[in-house]
Amino acid sequence: MRILGIDLGSREVKIAVMEEEKIIKKIKVSTMSFYRDYCSFNGKIIVDLEKLGIYGIDRAVSTGYGRNNTDLNKFKAINEIKAHVYGCFYQTKLKDFILLDVGGQDVKIVKVENGIITDLELNEKCAASCGRYLENMANVLEISLDEMSKYYDNPVVLNATCAVFSESELIGKIAEGVDIKSLCAGVNYSLYKRLHPMLNKFKGRKLVLTGGVANNSAIKEYLKKDYDEIVSVEEPQLNGAIGCCYYGNKIKNLKVEA
Amino acid sequence: MKKIGLTTTVPVEVIFAAGYKPVDLNNLFITSKDYMKYIDIAERDGFPKSLCAWIKGIYGACVENDIKEIVGVIEGDCSNTKALLEVLELSGIKVYPFLFPHSHKKEDVKKEIIKFMDMFEVDLEKTEKVRERLNKIRVLAKEIDKLTYVEYKTTGFENHLYQVSLSDFYGDIDKCEIDLKKAVSEIKKRKPINKKIRLGYIGVPPMTGDIYDFVEKFDAHFVYNEVQREFAFPRAYEAKNIFEQYYDYTYPYDIGFRIKELKRQIKERKLDGIIHYTQAFCYRAVEDIVIKKELDIPILNIEGDKLNKLDARTKLRLEAFLDMLMDLKGGITCEY
Ligand code: SF4
Repeated sequence: MRILGIDLGSREVKIAVMEEEKIIKKIKVSTMSFYRDYCSFNGKIIVDLEKLGIYGIDRAVSTGYGRNNTDLNKFKAINEIKAHVYGCFYQTKLKDFILLDVGGQDVKIVKVENGIITDLELNEKCAASCGRYLENMANVLEISLDEMSKYYDNPVVLNATCAVFSESELIGKIAEGVDIKSLCAGVNYSLYKRLHPMLNKFKGRKLVLTGGVANNSAIKEYLKKDYDEIVSVEEPQLNGAIGCCYYGNKIKNLKVEA
Repeated sequence: MKKIGLTTTVPVEVIFAAGYKPVDLNNLFITSKDYMKYIDIAERDGFPKSLCAWIKGIYGACVENDIKEIVGVIEGDCSNTKALLEVLELSGIKVYPFLFPHSHKKEDVKKEIIKFMDMFEVDLEKTEKVRERLNKIRVLAKEIDKLTYVEYKTTGFENHLYQVSLSDFYGDIDKCEIDLKKAVSEIKKRKPINKKIRLGYIGVPPMTGDIYDFVEKFDAHFVYNEVQREFAFPRAYEAKNIFEQYYDYTYPYDIGFRIKELKRQIKERKLDGIIHYTQAFCYRAVEDIVIKKELDIPILNIEGDKLNKLDARTKLRLEAFLDMLMDLKGGITCEY
């Protein structure tokens, strides 16, 4: 059986295909290009799977922003928190964990105990505590996101709580002649600091980190202090799409031919 | 009949025996359209923002409804009540203290109830007579409860409402009896509410009454209201006397005692999951730790504050939890 999972993010659409419980295909496209190049509209949004190079799908499950994904033709839509938790089940084989998903535009923290969601916190309205912040700051520093994310020693102190003011604060520090490593570390640390109060309510032993920010090793380094173990997954950005596949594989009587 | 306010469930038998009309201030507060006004009154009179809304609501309800006498529980319930009583006393309200002793020893409970009877100048015989009368109504509430979890005919909200109303019997025993009888016969005629998920509601009664309707949208049904049921004393009939009845009350004593009853009910009512409600700024939120450790069932802890409606975040949490419970029922589990 072939299952298609789509996670419609605000910046990127993530697509995974599962066959015999293995992920056999992974695609990431910008949200803009997904709708423009791969979809048509006929009362509902119709995804052109052939154009995406996807064939022979038995089931299709979608998740993502604002529930507008329910307009996807022939897809079974599921709640994105659940999709992420199922993605973690598949990727980590754990059933007790805290999930921290820091995406381009939002943060999700979910507590899973004994295989069920028992608590969660979402932060959707703050640019300063998600991936977007790191991107902007990397731009200011004229350094790649990957490079920036390596530094965690001697972080320069950045106090602004707002993404916009952080930029000018950072520029001030550049002007003061602070070295680039400390600047990078400072940016990473300031994101960690903003995540921290949210994470405070989610004490636990294992933290699974997903979303784009999972590739930031500095933040992982800081988080190590708070948890016994930081669990990395192979595909942090595709976790939601993989969760959709996991769900599609398990659920009975899901007849959607895509 | 003179009105007397109650801050929580107390041996109401004694109060009726003394010829009073009891008014549970919690019910008065939460069922009022002006509930926010009551909180405001309390805050204007100096109650801190960071205090449980129930306490402030009780205060406001007491002041606004011209309550001149009040029974306050100074042990076994909320420690904030003590301060509340002090403030009320200051404004000329007569306060009768009552306590559920921490020790939870039979003789201690007995001693307190005797003190209580003395305060109201009633004897045991008179109290027991009232108890007998009230037990007839308690049986009706128990029947409504049975119609909830055996026949699935009572909605979770109705169950909640009828059980909590026995904290003061509307101040009118006869009317209460008529109402409950009517409810029983009406509910019996209904078809079962066929919801897939059977939920338990535990913790203090909610500020947010809409939780009952909300969960029904997700194919779930509250078939157990823990503390509300305790307020109605479902085991009163088995108690030989008023002392035993109030000894066998899970709400005010230690949590171990409470957990034993919870475990029984989870099994008996075949619950799929539990919503543990706690109130912001309430020490009871800490008990969630013990509860989650002791009970082997999915539990979601939610917290209410001043609003009498669920906020968006709590709705989302409930939705995600119920969604997964449903998947669990459908065989989708974490297999690892
Ligand atoms: S909810 Fe807690 S803090 Fe509020 S009145 Fe009840 S016991 Fe006291």
